[in-house]
Formats: sequence, structure tokens, C-alpha cells
Amino acid sequence: MNAEALRTGSKPLPRRRSEVVYRLSRLATSISLHALVVASLAILLLPIVWMLSTSFKPLADVFSYPPQFIPRNPTVESYTTQFTGLLGRYFLNSVIVGLLSAILATGAGALAAYGLSRYRLPGRNAILMFFMASLAFPIPLLMISMYLMFVQLGLLNTYIGLVIGHTVITLPVCVWLLKNFFDQLPVEVEEAAFVDGASRAYTLFRIVLPMARPALGASAIFVFVTSWNELLFGLTFVSSTSMRPLPAGISMSFLTEFEGAWSEMMALSVMVSLPIFLLFTVFQRTFMSGVTAGAVKG
Amino acid sequence: MGFSPRQAPVFLAAIFAPSILLVGLFIVYPVVNSVGLAFTDASPLSSGRSFVGLENFVYLLEDGEFWEVLWNTVFIVGAATIIATACGYGLATLLISGIRAAAIFRAAIFQVWVVPWIVIAILWGWLFSQDYGLVNYLLMQVGLIETPVKWMFDQKASQWAIISGYAWRAIPFIMVICLAALQGIPSELVESAAIDGASFLQRQRYVILPLMQNIILVAALLQAVRFFQEMTMIFVLTQGGPVNATMVLSLYTYKTAFEDWDFGLASAIGTVWLILLMAFALLYVRVALRRNLA
Repeated sequence: MNAEALRTGSKPLPRRRSEVVYRLSRLATSISLHALVVASLAILLLPIVWMLSTSFKPLADVFSYPPQFIPRNPTVESYTTQFTGLLGRYFLNSVIVGLLSAILATGAGALAAYGLSRYRLPGRNAILMFFMASLAFPIPLLMISMYLMFVQLGLLNTYIGLVIGHTVITLPVCVWLLKNFFDQLPVEVEEAAFVDGASRAYTLFRIVLPMARPALGASAIFVFVTSWNELLFGLTFVSSTSMRPLPAGISMSFLTEFEGAWSEMMALSVMVSLPIFLLFTVFQRTFMSGVTAGAVKG
Repeated sequence: MGFSPRQAPVFLAAIFAPSILLVGLFIVYPVVNSVGLAFTDASPLSSGRSFVGLENFVYLLEDGEFWEVLWNTVFIVGAATIIATACGYGLATLLISGIRAAAIFRAAIFQVWVVPWIVIAILWGWLFSQDYGLVNYLLMQVGLIETPVKWMFDQKASQWAIISGYAWRAIPFIMVICLAALQGIPSELVESAAIDGASFLQRQRYVILPLMQNIILVAALLQAVRFFQEMTMIFVLTQGGPVNATMVLSLYTYKTAFEDWDFGLASAIGTVWLILLMAFALLYVRVALRRNLA
């Protein structure tokens, strides 16, 4: 349309009219685009809004018709009634298992990723392919033999058993993510350190790993979140109620107990989501830069 | 590029030791051992185990239930992946179209990715509740249905309830990946196509999608792999019912192993699953290679 306007520039009237039409159509496009984004956002966030809304309602208002989106008699009762010992214990279990898994998987993953990135190892690509493929391994198949091993090692009903389970299912992603990061780090830094007489271990721990903090953070967050979400190991490797992490604990004991008490269930859901929400909000930039650096190059 | 491993054998052995130990003991050994168990009648309930040859596999392939589960898995995972990919790509295109406050919208959508699966399971139970659920209310307001749908008691309806939860949760992931890739497309390419008179759809079809198809495919595949292993929603909401409508491979293997305690049969299911995965991966590599050569 612009080109048309330029070509007919000798006649002033049509040019001005087409300019108006052009502006109007741009404005219409812009308005409809914004409307589309707002509408999709509303649909996408509706479940979360509904969860928050229900959690602040007294049980009587939960079933009101038509549904109230903004609670008319807001209350935090559904939250306060739930501070029982058992729920606190589930939170504690999940935090402990999540943190230990994050440290173990990120630590072991970083060391291997550094080796894979910097050394010309025979079969390097095969190792990376294996890691990638192991992401898709049927986890229940893995668990059958792990269960038999854990029975013999006495690791059922322990944090160690869960940490091992959560570590091995996340280790491949950690290695991939961190290897992609190390690949982008200039090797000259290490060569200079070697020339200055620094040992390989010193270079890795004092020079390279501190530079890799964003990627290490992203990897640790990924492991923690996966662990926070994980249900199967928690169900299988733990039989005593007090050792269960959140997902297994909730699905085994709370669901039947709160049958139909939706405001309490939603309050519970909010509380379970909150730590992950905070983690992402605080470390969003770290996580995004760490992940996209890995994703776009890989 | 890279250092020679001969310069530092001890250092290399030390940095690889933890992951070799973890992967060897807790991935390689269990998988190999489980594949071996598929040829036995192993069960933690009995002390001995004996070799039964292909009996588990024969039982599985002749049993109609296994094929039903396989089809359910492909349907649920496939539908959820396609919906999530289409929506995620659409949103990424919207967010990059020069709208205001795109960063705020992106951050808001990203919150969906943060919701733990156990929470989605509980939340979906409430949203899709038959009498007081928001979904039935909205669908009736819009006039799409006249009577409340019994989401968890109807075979087709329960599948779609699960699919919607899977897709909802995955949209932000696809969106973030597509957004990063779309920002990498040189703007001159798209602008010059626009100046040449290509419409929005033509630009998508001939300029943007050809550049994006590989990354979209990779993102969709990664998501599909995750869906295959995910079962929290189904475990909490339907336990695979009604009448096996939402029984997927992961839950089926889990239940055979840890509810029926039939480790032999469960290992056979897992082994077939593994074989299917390898066949699929081989096919993918072939197609990818051929495309690269062409």
C-alpha cells in the first residue's frame, strides 16, 4: 500500500486517503492482536485464577450458583486448618530430597559435562546420544530392578533411595545443559591458567565452575522442580507415611480425607505450587538464560 | 579443538567417576536386569523365579488390553502434543508481532509451567467436577452442551479432560522455545517478503515455517517423551478408568509391577515399550539424515 501511495504521489488527494486507510488498518490489526493476546491469556490463566479464588472461599460459597470469581466472604480458614504435622512433614521431605538431588545431579553432571566438552574422548558423541536417549527410557522398567536393589541394600523408606532415583532421571538433562554451556565458554581462559601453572582441578573448581554459575543454577532448579513433581518413586520406594514426599503423600492420604472439600484442596494446591513459583520468580533470569543457551545451540 | 585425554588421565577418571557410577549402577544395570526379568516369572511375593521364555510376551501380544493401552497412550500423548505445539507456536507468533507489554504477557503465561503436576491433578478434578465444575458451567453458558458432562465417568470425555490438562501445562514450554527461535530469524527476511506483497499466511507458509520446522519438531518430540512418562494426573483422577479409557503405558506398567506384583509381565511391557522407542528413534534419525542430505 505504501509503494502504491509513492507511485501515485503526483496526485495529492488519493495519496492522503490511502494513508488514512493504511493507518486505520494498522490500528485495527493492532487492536485485534492485543484482544487476541488478552483473550488467550484469560483462558490460559483461568484454572490458576479459579484455584486461588476457590481457596479463599468458605465451603458454603464454593458451590454457589452462578460461580463467584471474586470471593464474596473471603477467608484464609482453608489455609490455617491445614498446618498439621503431617503436611509439614511432607514439605520437609520434598525439600530435603529436592535439595540433595539438585546438588548431586548438578555436581556429577557438571564434572562429566566439563570432561565431555573439553577433552577429545573416544566415543564422545555416542555417550551424548546415550544420555539423550536415556531421557526416554521407560521409568517403570527402571524402577522394577531398582526396587529389587533397594530391598537388598536397605534403601526403601530412606531419603537416599529417593535422591538416587531423582538424580538418575535428571542427570542426562544436566549433562546436556551444562555441556552446551561449557562449549560456549572460551577455552583460552583455561589455557592461560595452565600456562600460569594452575592444576587442572584448581582451574576447574576455581575458574571454570564459578563462571558457569547461571548454568549450574538453571540445572539445579530443573532438578529440584522435577523432584518436587515426581510421584512414582515416592509411591514405590516409600511405604511409611511419614517418609513420603508431597505428591505421593497427597495422593495417598489427603485426597480421600478431603473428598469434596474443594476450598481446602485448592488451598493445599496453592501451598504446594508456591515454593516453585517463588523459585522461578526469584531466579527467572538465571533459568531462562541457562535454558535458552542450551536449547538454541543444542 | 579440545585437550587430549592422555594429558590428564587421573583427572579425567576423577571427574567422570560420579556419573559413571550413578548411570552404570542405576540406569544401565537396572534396564539390562529388567529386560532379563521379562523372560522370567519374577515377583517379590515369591522367593524363587524361573525362566519362562517368551511366555510374558506371548501373553501380552495376544491380550487385547495391551493393544488398547498402547492406542490410548498414542492418542492421549499425540493429541496433547499437537494441541500444545499449535497453541504454543500461535502464542509465540502473537507475542512477537509487535504488541505492547509482550514481556509481561510472556511472564504471565510462563506461570502455567510452574504448576506442579499433582496440583494440576487436583485442580482438574475440581474444574471438571460434574455438578459444580467450572468447565461444565462455562460450556453450558456458551450453549455447547445442554446437560453437565460426566467427565470422569465417560470414556471419551475422560480422555479429553486428561488431554486438556497435559496440553495446558505444556503450552508455555513450546512457546518459550518457539519465541527464542522466532527472535533468531533475521527480520530483513520477513520484511522483504512483506514488501514483495506476501500476506501474513504466505509469510508463515513460505518464509517462517520452513525455518522453524526443525525446532518445532524437536520441541514437540521432547514434550511427547515427557508426556509418555507422566502419569500423576491419571493416577489421581481416574486410575486409568473408566473401563481403561485413560490407561496409558506408564500407569499400566506401574500397576502390573507394583499393584499386581507381577515383575515378569511388567518387565515385558517395559521391554516392548523400549523396543518401540528405539524403532521410533531410528526412524527419526533416518528421516532427519535424509532431510539433511537433500
